[in-house]
Amino acid sequence: MRSRNSGPAKAGHYVLLVALFLYAGAIADAQRGRGAGAAPAAPQGRGQASPASQRPPQTATPQQYPAEQIEAGRTRFAAQCGFCHGRDAGGGEGGPDLTRSDVVATDVRGDRILPLVRSGRGNMPPFNLPDTDLMAMVAFIHDQKTQAESAVGGRRSVDVSDLQTGNATAGKKYFDTACTRCHSAAGDLAGLAARVQGLQLLQRMLYPGGPPRDPKRAAQVTVTLANGQTVAGRLTYRDEFTIGLTDASGWYRSFPTKQVRFTVDEPLQAHVEQLGKYTDADMHDVLAYLQTLR
Amino acid sequence: MLTKRTVLFVFFDVFVAFVLIVGAQGVDPGLLLKPTADSWPTYHGDYTGQHHSRLTQITPANVNQMTLAWAFQTNQGQAVKATPILVNGVIYVSTVDNLWAIDARSGRQIWRYTYPQSQAFNIGHRGVAVRGDLVYLTTRDARLLALDARNGTVRWNVEIADWRRGYWCTNAPMIIRNHVIVGVSGDFDNLPGILRSFDADTGKPQWTFNSTPPPGTPGSISGGATGGQMWMTGTYDPDLNLYYVGTGNPTPVLNGPVRPGDNKWTGSIVALNPDTGEMKWGFQAVPHDTHDWDAAEVPVLVDADFRGTRRQLLLQASRNGYYFVLDRTTGQSLVTVPFATTNWATGVDADGRPIPNPEKEPKRDGRLVAPDESGGTNYRSPSFDPSNGLLIVSAHDAYGIYFFKPEHGAHGWAGADYTVHGRGVLRAIEYQTGRIRWSHDLHGGAGTAGVLTTATGLTFTGDSANNALALRSSDGSTLWHSGIGRVGNAPITYELDGRQFVLFGGGTALYAWALPQ
Repeated sequence: MRSRNSGPAKAGHYVLLVALFLYAGAIADAQRGRGAGAAPAAPQGRGQASPASQRPPQTATPQQYPAEQIEAGRTRFAAQCGFCHGRDAGGGEGGPDLTRSDVVATDVRGDRILPLVRSGRGNMPPFNLPDTDLMAMVAFIHDQKTQAESAVGGRRSVDVSDLQTGNATAGKKYFDTACTRCHSAAGDLAGLAARVQGLQLLQRMLYPGGPPRDPKRAAQVTVTLANGQTVAGRLTYRDEFTIGLTDASGWYRSFPTKQVRFTVDEPLQAHVEQLGKYTDADMHDVLAYLQTLR
Repeated sequence: MLTKRTVLFVFFDVFVAFVLIVGAQGVDPGLLLKPTADSWPTYHGDYTGQHHSRLTQITPANVNQMTLAWAFQTNQGQAVKATPILVNGVIYVSTVDNLWAIDARSGRQIWRYTYPQSQAFNIGHRGVAVRGDLVYLTTRDARLLALDARNGTVRWNVEIADWRRGYWCTNAPMIIRNHVIVGVSGDFDNLPGILRSFDADTGKPQWTFNSTPPPGTPGSISGGATGGQMWMTGTYDPDLNLYYVGTGNPTPVLNGPVRPGDNKWTGSIVALNPDTGEMKWGFQAVPHDTHDWDAAEVPVLVDADFRGTRRQLLLQASRNGYYFVLDRTTGQSLVTVPFATTNWATGVDADGRPIPNPEKEPKRDGRLVAPDESGGTNYRSPSFDPSNGLLIVSAHDAYGIYFFKPEHGAHGWAGADYTVHGRGVLRAIEYQTGRIRWSHDLHGGAGTAGVLTTATGLTFTGDSANNALALRSSDGSTLWHSGIGRVGNAPITYELDGRQFVLFGGGTALYAWALPQ
């Protein structure tokens, strides 16, 4: 367990725990999973610090709220947000621990939280609530975060130090067999561990979701029309009846699946298939290996 | 000028008319035993939970001619998740703390009731129940209301459980004779699992069944676990006089070590006497659950051939990814086989229960587990098609990572878990074997729609994108679709004035489809 001062506690140094807000919603939607928003850029600071010394993002700008506003927010939050995020904002059914969210850590009086709540994100629906209610909820979330920063544990916390059970040598061996068709340690994954750590690295390793850093790695579709003409682009929408793509000029185009032929190249499918092959030891070994790619 | 005598006569006439109206319009509880074609009088349509209709006007040959008869927009921020109830030409449909009475012919609102804002959890509402001239509505702050079915006036309002302790309610009540049976939810606190029965006329409490007892109860077999909330509507066998209901996961949810043993009766199907709440038998689908896999999914009652003998069966596609067949007279297990991706059990024990692999319990460094928290299926009503012998289920092939360390404590969730990836797929399970006859990709993550089958061999549901679907039940091929928005409830069907309607919730609205007139 860590005391409050055992880690790099400088304001402004926060590990890039990707905005865990993105996990809202008890029902995962593979098409719109995490990472749907851009990962916030974080200062790298002590990139070489041992994983165990890394801690949740700290509040960048300390803020004070009146007690009445926090209390009003407590009841509003419980009713509207509590199922997914927990009554204490420490995580609930499907939704992440907001006291460890990068969005909350960098929020100043709702400037990051409010737009997200109003528009929704990933599986989190938009909330149309009066501003006074929303600000009360912001006050409550910040207060909970302040309290969580002085507490140990945390209901849904997963620390980088928790994940250090793998063997990097075994992980490299596994990687060289299972992953090198698409990835290379010196290529696309160079410096990976300097960008992503801990739970986020594990999650991205298992299934990256969201738009890839390299657009060339997005799922591609080639549609052949009845007249033989072909249209290719990034796969943008797909259900049983409609296939949609974004072409090289940035235009969205859709086609009825019954009237065209199409082929989809979906690189992430390899990650889905790998989920059924990993043992837990494999998973931890590969994570250990990826952590060496700095 | 009216004479006193005339006034009396008028009064008498009005009184008689009133009685006649009540007599004609009130819902005879007997209707629940044999629902008529112009009704959908209870959550599952009837007591069996088959979610199947004998109506035959809409067929595989003409379903693609269906046209929109009407739409009803709730103008709420939340999707319609409730299964509508239909009696006497009136549809009763709910969202959290809202109830509408709608003309089933035209989609016109007759009345609306809104419960005052409360501070309990707001996650969804499964539906209402009707009996006599009353509609029963549960509220998120775990109260049971009886409203006048004619105008939405509240007749009585009783507490089911104390929301301040962490209980809430989404439940569609079950009516059996003069009992209104309701369950609650409450995973974020260590709360005993309770199912309660109230007098249908007065709201007076009748009995309470504890799936797990209050902590410290002498002789408890729960191993210290709380939870096991019965948050879904069960099914009823009138001949055996048994109410079958699934119980929820134990609490603390992910912390297994603090509650050793099987944690009965969490993650179970229990058979109760609806007059007393006494348990006749229990079958545990998930011994010692540590993954939030309740067994609250619909226990479907089927009388059918089972390997050469006609038997009284109970079928459940459970959240843990396994399909179970039980003899519903005794709870004896007949079939246990996965219907969705699973990796958490080392086998099946002599009683037909999957044996949890201790290595797949949540651990400090994480465990990759299938299914994920939302499960191999969930609240989405399945449908049993007797002619094809299929239980058609909205399944989910998914992986999650599960964490637990002592620092997470022993209250409520007590751990962390995250979905890695999931894919929704409709599966048709052959009821005697569990073999999958066909699968139909839902094009996205876990579905939200329940399933309705009809006697002409049609399956109505929704995909994970934007479409209401009609499929051929025998092979899962698509016959019709409409992009009405994501279907969030279980479709129902009814026939009025010689016209068959199919009713879907799509987004925040209800849509009624029928053949052109």
